[in-house]
Amino acid sequence: MTSIAPGGEPFLFPGGRTGCLLLHGFTASPQEVRELGRHLASHGATALGPRLFGHATQPGDLLRARWADWLASAFDGYHMLRGVCDRVFVLGVSLGGVLAFHLAARLDVAGVVGMATPFGPPKDPRLLLLRLAAPLVRFVPKGPPDWRDPAAAKTRVAYGVYPVPALAEVERAILAMRRHLVNVSCPVLLMHATEDTFVPPANMQAIYDALPAGDKAMLSIPHSNHVLPLDASRSQVFEAAADFIGRVSR
Amino acid sequence: MSLIMPGAEPFYFPGGRTGCLLIHGFTGTPKEMRFLGEHLAGAGCTVLGVRLFAHATRQEDMLRARWRDWVASAEDGLHLLREACDRVIVMGLSMGGILALLLAAEHAVSGVVALSTPYDSPDPRLRLRPLAAFLTLFWRFARKGPPDWHDPTVAADHLEYPLAPVRGGVELYDILAELRRRLPSVTCPALVIHSRGDLTVRGSSAEAIVAHMGSGDKKLVWVENSGHVVTRDAERERVFAEVLSFVRGLEPSTA
Repeated sequence: MTSIAPGGEPFLFPGGRTGCLLLHGFTASPQEVRELGRHLASHGATALGPRLFGHATQPGDLLRARWADWLASAFDGYHMLRGVCDRVFVLGVSLGGVLAFHLAARLDVAGVVGMATPFGPPKDPRLLLLRLAAPLVRFVPKGPPDWRDPAAAKTRVAYGVYPVPALAEVERAILAMRRHLVNVSCPVLLMHATEDTFVPPANMQAIYDALPAGDKAMLSIPHSNHVLPLDASRSQVFEAAADFIGRVSR
Repeated sequence: MSLIMPGAEPFYFPGGRTGCLLIHGFTGTPKEMRFLGEHLAGAGCTVLGVRLFAHATRQEDMLRARWRDWVASAEDGLHLLREACDRVIVMGLSMGGILALLLAAEHAVSGVVALSTPYDSPDPRLRLRPLAAFLTLFWRFARKGPPDWHDPTVAADHLEYPLAPVRGGVELYDILAELRRRLPSVTCPALVIHSRGDLTVRGSSAEAIVAHMGSGDKKLVWVENSGHVVTRDAERERVFAEVLSFVRGLEPSTA
């Protein structure tokens, strides 16, 4: 009756007064950001990776999800960290990055690391067709894998399908994020794979341009797919995130 | 601005290697467990109070919730405590008590505390369960039973949804059936606390839970002058002391 997929459980690595909230992406699980959390905890941070509603259980659970449910899951993690930390950084992959900006626009956040964050709906030609078929088709298989590190792909805990109605919720979250980006006043580090074919790197530039002037930076990562903290260049991603957090905390 | 009701946020209090997972009840919020959490943290425990899916946000969210979502929310808390603790005691109020018992039946926990926890539901409307899918199309919310608070000042700042979602009642019915199935698999030490003044869940539920659980080490404690929410009502200090003494008894002796 264990309802959470083994390996996909949320995590909390206790540490110091700097908190890192790590948000996974759509149809993925906390496993996607667990090693990144370990890395940041080894640098002295308290790291918490919540499970977004409907994830790491059954794909059918996402049929009932609204994007505000995912944001509420992220808020939960923030509130848990708030009690133990003086400052909270929010890091997110893809949809997790979208949620990170939502949090930063609303709450006291020390800094945001947005990885492979979309500014527009993902570039998958099938998505357009799916919008039309949404009343009939509940699930659609994911596209072919494009991992640079096939070993990392094997450890991944994620659904193999996209629940179609939830895709519209992802899009709503992205469009709402666009309106809120102007309210993000904390330091921001954006990372994106140059070879990301799912959410092309132009999305990073668009987010950068929509953020207010201030402490913001872009970093292009070679030799990786969309899932930056798992694929072949993850060490570079971990180091860049840790450097950013160390610099802003100082 | 948070999506979560102010004051009803989930909480984490770091402490020693004994972890306490606190689970609130149906239509309630983490706030009803927070004061117990503060008491346990004050005594050196690491404490985590989860927010169950669709709670402490908007009442309408409950219409989309299924009981397995709540089990998953409770499991989340167990996993979050794993790294920080050597042993975890799970405890919950009302439906939170059901969830604590279900976790104890499935996972390695050191102890379980069920507060004001139902074993079955006396609500005659639940005989309509087979028609639920149809009825919930147009019957969305039902009135709650009369309040049974003994401490009016606490009642005034209590946070919960004002109505009972009908779909949620169906889920409650189903999770109670699951509880009755799984209760014999609960074998860890157990503490059951119930108030004789509880008008929401009858005391016979506490007796049935104790009778049907598989645990050898089990204790039933009655309080007299409280309503359903024993973690906040008039005798809360007595409840806190009973829970803490149970938790203490599960820690390895330092002698």
